[in-house]
Amino acid sequence: MKWSNRQFGDLDFDPDHVVEFSSGMIGFEQYKRFIIVHDEDSEPFRWLVSIESKDLNFPMLDPGLLLPGYSEGTVGAEKEVWVIAALHANVEKSTVNLRSPVVIDRKTRAAQQLILDDDSLPFQFPLVAAKSKGGN
Amino acid sequence: MLVLTRKIDEEIKIGEQIVVRVLAIKDGQIKLGIAAPRSISVFRGELYAEAQRQNEAASRVERSAVAEAAATLSGLNVAGTEPKS
Repeated sequence: MKWSNRQFGDLDFDPDHVVEFSSGMIGFEQYKRFIIVHDEDSEPFRWLVSIESKDLNFPMLDPGLLLPGYSEGTVGAEKEVWVIAALHANVEKSTVNLRSPVVIDRKTRAAQQLILDDDSLPFQFPLVAAKSKGGN
Repeated sequence: MLVLTRKIDEEIKIGEQIVVRVLAIKDGQIKLGIAAPRSISVFRGELYAEAQRQNEAASRVERSAVAEAAATLSGLNVAGTEPKS
């Protein structure tokens, strides 16, 4: 199937790969259906791209790249986990949201954005500081 | 806004599927039990607002900024490419 996004233009996608949020993303509840776009220039980031609004997309990152063990510690290994990235051209201002990850069922592609019940996980975790913590 | 007074162990029913019960009151804090279908998200208000702010910031990110962040990151050798020491 085809979808046209403002930033990516025309995108081809397999309907089986559509990720469905029954409650939407927090603050964007009206949009339920997304695809994950792997943009070579954005590597290792991926894009969660709405197929209901051509202006809606979120960059995200596999948290395992920053903090090994994060996913297992928060939602268990059976689900695919992503953290939303608020990026700036100045990478030092860029953060990822460890407190409200997106979790996706590997089989059904049913998805949800959680708010984890753990005060130690920040909503704004600096991407660059992740280097020292993630490298331990 | 509907304003109701409840005692410990009393409930409020919202629609057919949501029940809020007062479990305990202590030192200015109230412990609530909330029963709702899985499809209904229940969040603390201030945490929802913070998550919303972060999502809004992320939704405004341009592809060019991601490419730049990605390039910087790979230069810093952050993204999991670091050899284990």
